[in-house]
Parts: sequence; C-alpha cells; structure tokens
Amino acid sequence: MAKYVFDLERSAKGLRLNRFLHSLTQKEQRELFLRDPDAAMKALTAEERDMVRRLDWKAMQDYGASFFCLEKLARTKGVSNPQMVAAFRGETLEAFLKTRRVPGAR
Amino acid sequence: MARIIGGIGTSHVPTIAMAYDKAKQNDPDWQPLFRGYEPVASWLAEKKPDVLFFCFNDHATTFFFDHYPTFALGVGEEYRIADEGLGLRPIPRLKGHAPMARHIARSLVAEEFDISVFQDLALDHGLHSPLTMMWPSKPDWPGAVIPLVVNVLQHPLPSPRRCYKLGKAIRRAILSYPEDLKVAMVGTGGLSHQMIGERAGFNDEKWDREFLELIDRDPERLASMSIDDFMRLGGNEGAEVIMWLIMRGALDERARKRHDNYYLPMTTAMAVALFE
Repeated sequence: MAKYVFDLERSAKGLRLNRFLHSLTQKEQRELFLRDPDAAMKALTAEERDMVRRLDWKAMQDYGASFFCLEKLARTKGVSNPQMVAAFRGETLEAFLKTRRVPGAR
Repeated sequence: MARIIGGIGTSHVPTIAMAYDKAKQNDPDWQPLFRGYEPVASWLAEKKPDVLFFCFNDHATTFFFDHYPTFALGVGEEYRIADEGLGLRPIPRLKGHAPMARHIARSLVAEEFDISVFQDLALDHGLHSPLTMMWPSKPDWPGAVIPLVVNVLQHPLPSPRRCYKLGKAIRRAILSYPEDLKVAMVGTGGLSHQMIGERAGFNDEKWDREFLELIDRDPERLASMSIDDFMRLGGNEGAEVIMWLIMRGALDERARKRHDNYYLPMTTAMAVALFE
C-alpha cells in the first residue's frame, strides 16, 4: 500500500493547519503573515505555529498538511517545489538536483 | 448538433506556466517541452473548436477540504484566474459556455452522475498551465472552456472505471446538444510523479510510455486498474492520470493518437498527446 496517502483521517487531523496554509491564497493574508506571523496564525496550536515558523516541511507533512496547501506557504516564502521535495527525501537541494535530468528546469 | 472533434491529454505542471510566462520557448532546458505542444496548438488553430471541455483538478486553491467535491462542473459565463500564492498570471479571464454546460449538467444527472455544479469560481493552473501552451490568450481566448474539476487530492478518489464511464456520459451529453458547435476534450495530469514522503521525486518512464500506448489502444485496460495500481506505477500524485480516462471515454471509439511528446526534466514527467 502507498504511504502518505491524503485520506479522510489525515485530512481531519490536518484540517486546522491546512486551513491556515490555504488562507495564503489571499494577498492580505500573505502580507499579514510576512509582517506578523503570530497574528496570521492565531487559530493554530503552539506546535503547529512552530512547524510553520521553522518551515519544517517534513514535520508539517507528517502532521497532516496537504502537499498542495504546503505549496501556498512555499510560494509565500519563496521556496521552490524541488526544495520541498528534497526536504521530504531528507537530502539537500543540491543532492536532489544531481538526481534530475535537467536541473535547470525549475 | 454539437460534435466532439478530438481530444488532448496533457500534464498540468505549474512550472509549465512559469516557463510560458517567462517566455522560455528558446531556453534549451524548456525547448523540448514547447516543441512538443506545437502540433497540438496548430491542430487547435486549424480546427477552431468552439469549446474546450477540460477535465482537471484544483490544487486546494479554490476548493478546500472543508467541502470537497468528487466531480464539480463549471456552468458559469466566466471564470477568474486563481491566486495560488504568487498573485495572478497575466492572462485574461476564461470564458465559459453556460448553455452547453447547463445542458451537460442536466444530462449527467439524468444518467445518475450526481455531480456538483459551480458558477464563477477562480480556476487554477490545473487548467491554464497547459492551456497557454496550446491556445492564444491575446487579445483574448479564441473560444470557451467548460471546466470539470475532479477530486484527485483527497482519498477516496473516483475509480478509473468511473472516470471512463463519466467520459462516455459526457460524450452523450455533448452530442445531444442542439447547437452545431465543435468541442475538443482535454484530460490533464501526470504523468509519473510523487511529491511527498521518502519516495518524493519518483518517476518511471517505462510505465509512462506504456500509459501513452494504453490510453490510445486499450483504455479499457487502464479503466480496469485500481487507484492503488496507478499510485504504485506512477507515484501517489501520478494517479491523477485517471482524468485522461474521462477525456478518452468521451472520444469516438475509432479515435487514434496522432501525436505525443514526453519530457522529464525535474520531478514530474510532462507529456502531451493528441487524439482524433
């Protein structure tokens, strides 16, 4: 069976965190988050706020964040998808890019 | 009566839109991708379909997990471009075809496909990253789109068989529309990729090539596979290729693949194929 399948259990566990991540599709919310992270994250628990503040992609994923909601945070903070993928694999971006056919295509 | 003139299968990777918006047509890293879309763009320019029926998925942009539809059909007059965290792409709003979309909604529900419908929501790169590779956006889009948003994010996903059957029901719906309009089907997603877990970065070109053959010659075999099969062969996120089966199901059974292109630069295999 595939691992990390985003099913209804994972969706329920990650709902509050995903709702925050999804809110970053709004420009005002992104600006607030960049200016005053705690104000933007006031609905989150201390544990959730800490993962977001540290941009700990793997911890957020393991906790129940949807990859597609994490993308909103990544765009807000100027992080690319290959950087996130490298974090999930537990390697550096440079090491990950060495495994790709066209490392410049990003 | 309306006609279905052909179909297109295409990846919808967000970096395709980035490469287009940054005009990387002649960048050696991107040229093989742009070249691969040229025959499809020429075909659309020549055949001039009135409507592109787009099977794609939203990426938790407009639809969120507090209420997540399995199949949602756009029946609006116009659709905004969604902000996915970087502001709006410099492309015009998409024109819908409300009368045909309403007809399709009624026809599908009458056939027991109890879809959701939506009006003027914003659409994300799932639709317009491939669209700008094939259809000119300036001065305005040459035709209308009918968007069908499919859940490929939150399991349980619809089965491959259900997608194929839905395609066949969409075909009957379009062919029973009284106005003489030309429709092209578009199925998006894939090919192999996985974005999460230790297996992130997974691809399998051999399976992708086989998929590109089977979608042409034996879609029935793809329809009989499970979502788990698709995740194992093409990666967790690669299972979204079930949306190609909706497109394929809506085509005439005699339709055959006329062109395809495959490019795997980074994390997702980017493919495009034309059926007529």
